[in-house]
Amino acid sequence: MFYIHQTCCISPQQTYTDPDINMLVESAGNKLTVIEPSCEGIPMKVLRRMNKGVRIGVGAALPLIQGLQELSGIIIGTANGGMEESILFLNQIIEYNEGILMPGNFVQSTANAAASQLSLLSHNKGYNMTHVHRGTAFENAVIDAAMMLKENRRHSYLLGAVDEISGYNYKFEQIEGWYKKEVVSNKHLYKSDSPGTIPGEGAVMFLVNNVKHNALAKLAAITTIHSENAMTVKHIMEDFLTNHVLAEGNIDLLLTGEDGDNRFEHFYLQCEALMDSNVTVARFKHMSGTYPTASAFALWLACRALTSQTLPGHMIKKQGSQTGYKNILIYNHDKGKQHSLMQVTITADGVHGKTL
Amino acid sequence: MAAEELKQQLKKQVIEFLNLTEMKPEDIKDDEPLFGEGLGLDSIDSLELIVLLHREYGIIIKDPKDGRKILVDINTMADHIEQYRTK
Repeated sequence: MFYIHQTCCISPQQTYTDPDINMLVESAGNKLTVIEPSCEGIPMKVLRRMNKGVRIGVGAALPLIQGLQELSGIIIGTANGGMEESILFLNQIIEYNEGILMPGNFVQSTANAAASQLSLLSHNKGYNMTHVHRGTAFENAVIDAAMMLKENRRHSYLLGAVDEISGYNYKFEQIEGWYKKEVVSNKHLYKSDSPGTIPGEGAVMFLVNNVKHNALAKLAAITTIHSENAMTVKHIMEDFLTNHVLAEGNIDLLLTGEDGDNRFEHFYLQCEALMDSNVTVARFKHMSGTYPTASAFALWLACRALTSQTLPGHMIKKQGSQTGYKNILIYNHDKGKQHSLMQVTITADGVHGKTL
Repeated sequence: MAAEELKQQLKKQVIEFLNLTEMKPEDIKDDEPLFGEGLGLDSIDSLELIVLLHREYGIIIKDPKDGRKILVDINTMADHIEQYRTK
């Protein structure tokens, strides 16, 4: 499909500058909120209008695109965009009886605020697209990037995902039962054996193109599944493994979005059961928390695993017999309805000397 | 409300409405231009200030040309508020 050359990640863990994922940052108040970096490079005049989602999206993207001459476009996935501002704006409509409204909230409330702000800041007038397919928003951005690169072999794109925890949305989803009622630390997330998970947020950006040389990793295949039926999901997984993944060699690492919600654990166990016994199984939601575009964080981790050839112990669920990582399968689902599989493979140039 | 008191309140509201988090009321001079030089506000800010006048003081600016005369600096805004406020 395409090659990943640079990445940048803002998450609840220390992933932005001098990434260190061995030390697990603990959740607070049953949430995993991002460690926001200082926004150097963003003019104060622009920064003051940015909500958190836009701020972290721009913050993660700017290091990759500043001064870059060859960027052909910006492709972002976000389920909720600037949700906090959206709800502020909607509340204003009611409070002021559809009268005079604050334009700032409106500007920030659109889902494409991050992609458009990046376009303005980088003066990039190329393809600019934001995908909002809820739990597969990032995956649809990936598919879009793959199609664009298939048609335009020499292009390079900024591909990324961003979602924030909004106070209002958190309350709604809490009422709907998506988050744990009891206090649970991310350090004990997988032992909780209760419904719900802990929410998270993050912004992850990738610079992608068709150039193999010096690439960190290759995104080899992707599929999305929309179903709540475990058997349907299983059949599509089997087809994906047979037709795409195993053609590239055996999987040595399965990275899953298991999130401590005992209502949906069977999807992950089902996927694990499809793997050979020597495959290492690792999890990432105790680092990122659960949010619709968390699979972008998993892709960042996969790139890191391929370049460093290691993963921290707290991620490992089952240690396989193979050493080193060459062929990684990411499986994630959102609310048991939107599933995705991504295959990430090593490139000959990407093993040594690369840091993220 | 005394004129000075109104100006102080207005400065706090300008900071809050425009999210000028790095500024304090004492950083804004009464005769400092709001747009261009001075605070360097832009057209979106002018809309936010019109909303401020409406919500906090019940003043509706219908003609944009009026806005240019009113939204010059804190002094001109305070004068207009004193003259036309409905709340």
